Amino acid sequence: MIFRSKITQLGSALSLALVLSSCNSDKAAEIRVRELPEEERELKMVATSAERFRFRAQKASDSAGSVQKTGGPQLVYETPEGWTVLDSAMMRDVNLTFGENGEGECYLTRLPGAGGGLEPNVNRWRKQMGAASLSAEEIAALPKKPLFGQQATFIKVDGNFGGMSGADAKENYRLLGLILSSEAGAVFVKMTGPKDLVEKNKAGFDQFTSTLDVSLN
Amino acid sequence: MATSNTEKSPGNWLHFLYKFFTSFKLATLVLVLLTFITLFGTLAQVNHGLVASKRFYFDSWFLWYSIKEVDGSFTPVFPFAPGGMLLMVILFTNMLMGAIVKVKKRLRGIGLLISHSGMLLLLAGGFVSHKFGTDGFIALYPGMKSSKVESYREWQLELIPVNDADKAEKAFVIPTEALNALRLNQEKVFPMPDLPFDVKINSYAANSSPIPTSAPMSAQVEGKEIDGFKLANQELSKKAEQNLPGAYVEFVPKEGGDPIEAILWSGSAKFDPKEKNMPFQFRVGDQRFAAQLAKKTWRVPYEIELDEFIFERHPGTGVAKEYRSRITRFEEGKESQSLDIRMNEPMRYGGYVFFQESFGPPDAPAGQMYSQFAVANNPADQWPLIAVSITGLGLLIHFCMSLNKFVSRTRKSNKKKAEAA
Repeated sequence: MIFRSKITQLGSALSLALVLSSCNSDKAAEIRVRELPEEERELKMVATSAERFRFRAQKASDSAGSVQKTGGPQLVYETPEGWTVLDSAMMRDVNLTFGENGEGECYLTRLPGAGGGLEPNVNRWRKQMGAASLSAEEIAALPKKPLFGQQATFIKVDGNFGGMSGADAKENYRLLGLILSSEAGAVFVKMTGPKDLVEKNKAGFDQFTSTLDVSLN
Repeated sequence: MATSNTEKSPGNWLHFLYKFFTSFKLATLVLVLLTFITLFGTLAQVNHGLVASKRFYFDSWFLWYSIKEVDGSFTPVFPFAPGGMLLMVILFTNMLMGAIVKVKKRLRGIGLLISHSGMLLLLAGGFVSHKFGTDGFIALYPGMKSSKVESYREWQLELIPVNDADKAEKAFVIPTEALNALRLNQEKVFPMPDLPFDVKINSYAANSSPIPTSAPMSAQVEGKEIDGFKLANQELSKKAEQNLPGAYVEFVPKEGGDPIEAILWSGSAKFDPKEKNMPFQFRVGDQRFAAQLAKKTWRVPYEIELDEFIFERHPGTGVAKEYRSRITRFEEGKESQSLDIRMNEPMRYGGYVFFQESFGPPDAPAGQMYSQFAVANNPADQWPLIAVSITGLGLLIHFCMSLNKFVSRTRKSNKKKAEAA
């Protein structure tokens, strides 16, 4: 009897501890003041949200098509035969099309940090093609191809391409992609188009991705 | 009545607690539960990543049943089991009281006493590491020098008064803990006593991406458009350091007037040592301000300069063969030592350990790369080694004493048998 009573009281004490441990302390909202060290005192003020969010304004591409001006170090690559270089656009540092009516496209995007990580992006692309998500183990087992001298994850998905908006899916499409994701930065190369057309241009995809480099000149 | 008074007497209570915490059954139960926590906590890393699993199973007082929110975060509803922290505190108390205080101090028990002391030190070391340890990184290009460590995962909101030359001296900081307590679409006002405005956060996403409203996918993104962008919430990454938080923020002037709205995104912070953060700028009255989500930083008590970053690939592949950093350490401005930091050969100095961690940018040619060091500070760094040594010594003593006792008994027994024969 005594023991049961003690157990009840001990339970009450633990419950109280539980409630206290789950309470949010207002100390968390305490505003602190940080003296800025010398290297942080000069700020980089940019005019627009687009610049703050690292979206570059649209620029004209080099007419030769093999060198993309990016300001500072430039991206260089070989343009596969029959492909067309378009102006770079938001989220597209290199923007290419192929096919008689330009129905195939291939572009390169760079994002800061890991760009959301490898797995979410692989599955996002698969979702755009109407394919099921892959597990972490399946993604780790995907083949690799070189990109900027490193081993990037290669993605190949067939399906109905709904694009980023998910509307008006285009039937019988193929997506080829490379993702290089690290804390230092993320690089995405994505090629989409009718399956037969992409199949015919897969050598062009390899030519484009394997010759991508950075020119400091 | 008399029984009731006895039950409530403080002495009786203390006796009960003493019996409870020194119970061998309690120790057994806690060890079994810890086994399960370790098993499930390890398996959970596959689906939830290291940091989230560690926080849920090992850093917690209780394991909470939680509901998954739209932003991928979890809201706790009720606890269903004790957490690793609670179990380890109970185990520590149990061992301290049961194996050190309660047991009779006899010479023949010295080995077990020593080994239990070692295990207590191991548990204490775990607590000290959890409470006082830090981990972050320093990234440097050759020729750069710094003592500033940046956190991998902790972001804070900084409000910075700026002069006309785009220079600033101090930042008012809304700390990481306050931001982490916020949820998607949860509003919270932070009064700023020393600034002419208050900060109102209308929504905070632990992982996010700004989407231009000109992009087709922006139609699917909820939230207000500000300056041609919406903030899209993203699922949390298993690697917590890859999450890029963002927030819808209003700066509300105390003197009245319309609030200034902005999207703040951690992707505006620098990701390359040569870059600078790109804060949102605004004006309240005559004073200019900048606002940014920035990584939490702290200092080590000396500076390191990267003299050279040596990077080699396996021929014909993109796979790194070797990378190492030649650095010079400076104390109070004076050069103190030059050395190499490479994989599995960290620099341990002044309570901090510098590991060669990574390099970047990913598309940079060799010779144009920066080197990144993981910087860990763990006051209990060597405690596990000491604790295991003490435990081993205690067990060895206990084994030797038991062996000696066994040999003596056997001798006596043999002697008796010989005498009887």
